[in-house]
Amino acid sequence: MAPTLGKRKREVANLSNKSPRISSDEREETELDAQEIFRRHFEAQFQPLPIIPKPKTVVEELDDEQDEQSDWDGISDGDENVVQVVEHTDTQLRISAMSKEELKAFMTSKPPSSNPGQSLIRDKPGLVEDDDPSEAANLKKDLALQRLLAESHLLESSKNPTLNGTNRHKATELRLQALGSKMSILKQEKMPMSHRRGIIAKQTEKEEKRRREARENGIILEKAKMKKNTDGKRDRGVGGPGIGKFSGGTLNLSKKDIFNIEGPRRSSSTRGGRGGGRGRGKRGR
Amino acid sequence: MAAPAPEYLRFTTHKSLTHRLVLSTLTGRPVHISQIRSSSPTNPGLAPHEISFLRLLDSITNGSVMQISYTGTTLTYIPGLITGSVSTGGGDVVRCVLPETCRRGVSWFLLPLCMLAPFSKAPINVRFEGDGVITSATETGDVSVDTVRTAILPLYEAFGIIGSKLELRILQRSCAGVGGKGGGGVVELRFGSQVRLPKTLHMNRSPGRVKRIRGVAYSTGVSASNSARMINAARGVLNPLVPDIHVASQYDQAPLVGDKGSAGGKKRTGVGFGLSLIAECSSEGVIYSADVPAPSQGGVTPEDIGKRCAYQLLEMVSQGGCITRVGAPTVLTLMAMGSEDVGREEI
Repeated sequence: MAPTLGKRKREVANLSNKSPRISSDEREETELDAQEIFRRHFEAQFQPLPIIPKPKTVVEELDDEQDEQSDWDGISDGDENVVQVVEHTDTQLRISAMSKEELKAFMTSKPPSSNPGQSLIRDKPGLVEDDDPSEAANLKKDLALQRLLAESHLLESSKNPTLNGTNRHKATELRLQALGSKMSILKQEKMPMSHRRGIIAKQTEKEEKRRREARENGIILEKAKMKKNTDGKRDRGVGGPGIGKFSGGTLNLSKKDIFNIEGPRRSSSTRGGRGGGRGRGKRGR
Repeated sequence: MAAPAPEYLRFTTHKSLTHRLVLSTLTGRPVHISQIRSSSPTNPGLAPHEISFLRLLDSITNGSVMQISYTGTTLTYIPGLITGSVSTGGGDVVRCVLPETCRRGVSWFLLPLCMLAPFSKAPINVRFEGDGVITSATETGDVSVDTVRTAILPLYEAFGIIGSKLELRILQRSCAGVGGKGGGGVVELRFGSQVRLPKTLHMNRSPGRVKRIRGVAYSTGVSASNSARMINAARGVLNPLVPDIHVASQYDQAPLVGDKGSAGGKKRTGVGFGLSLIAECSSEGVIYSADVPAPSQGGVTPEDIGKRCAYQLLEMVSQGGCITRVGAPTVLTLMAMGSEDVGREEI
């Protein structure tokens, strides 16, 4: 049943399609003529163009396609009266965007107040109108620009390209440092020693691995930061012994401490160095 | 009461039972209601939700006497004092457990309770729970708790009742269960503001124009995209008329009901969705509301619900007046309880 039906439809379609195809052929011819004219003009000015064989196959394919289309037309003209309505609603549309504050105010357990506009929506300090010529607005914009320049590298991180969350904290840290803060707000001050050790060990391990891999691959890295030698004077507090280590009720003096107290030992002292010196001095006199 | 035999006001049928009982309590007149569903061959007498309401009245009043005839078709009620929720031990909240057979939304209880609450001795805190609490709107004509909170409770402010002391906490949402019966929600009403004499109301001005439209789209136990679809459809109708439309979408899990010990074990109930819209007018205190739930047997698309709700809201607006049909009993009762000044109200 189906093939006969299809055949009939195709004929009908061909009949119906005849006139447009003719018109399209004519258009093609006119286009060809135009190309011919251009070609002749070009050849008159330059050298003759190589002749490319016309791609016949494309036209045939086109014909086939048209036939297929006509097939479809044939099927659909069977029941013309039924109009199929397809309603497509996009659920991805932007739905009511209640601001967070408004939503909070509306969805509390209390009845919503009749005029929430005044108290709930704070006027945002960051919003400056573009065409505000006043000095204050200019200063604000200037500050915003400075900050953008100083902190724009935070926005480059692929993980979080907004100035939210971690990046916001980092930005605050940068600003504090610019104002002269010594302590980092990102560094945790108090934590168990084992955690701290673990963190430091991990950091050094990472750095070492990075350097090793770079060395193996022949990449030259920046110079390793020299560890600051904390060999200077330890703060010993007030009232304690100025030397040695006090533990278990005893003051332990290391050899180094004793050496420090005694001062440099002179080998000449056994040989009467002082006297000798004096003597030498006398001799000099 | 040692007073002479009380004069009963006599009523028949169960029509507006809650309002009759509330007015009786407020005025102190005993009532006698007869022929309650006396013609019904299958369920004569008081329905489960009406019994629950009587229990609730009993727990927030002191000295009230109720007599129900053997068949439940006759009720005699001698009101007592409205004490609020101090008398109960164990917290300041009166628990009101609704049975599974309840077909009315919890707003059927809330609205009359709110009418009594301003005249109570102590704050009224009631928690509705049990397998029969339906927080959504129902097909029996009750509004959703969202409408109660956003459209009815603000009406009290005009009577000198402090709005910030009223609270309606929706601890668990639920739609009507299978066959429109039962839910499993938990709702807590806290009415912490009492007045002796409500202020005189003057609301005979023009209601003004609709300023903004707010609403809540709730879906319980079904996909949250239903909310978005309802909101979209409603906005499609309303957006050309009012630009300021914000509808919050609320998704909750369906409540678990039943015991582990019972045959079926625990099961989820009260699945469904619905939309509640309110339109605030430029005139102070004028709020129109509309409420459409999905029927408990299902088969309606969220788009239909959204559209119907929007059209219902438009119909409410076209009816005009300062008070809608839902809020009228509340406002009229409070006006009647006010001082001798003449309050005015346009309905």
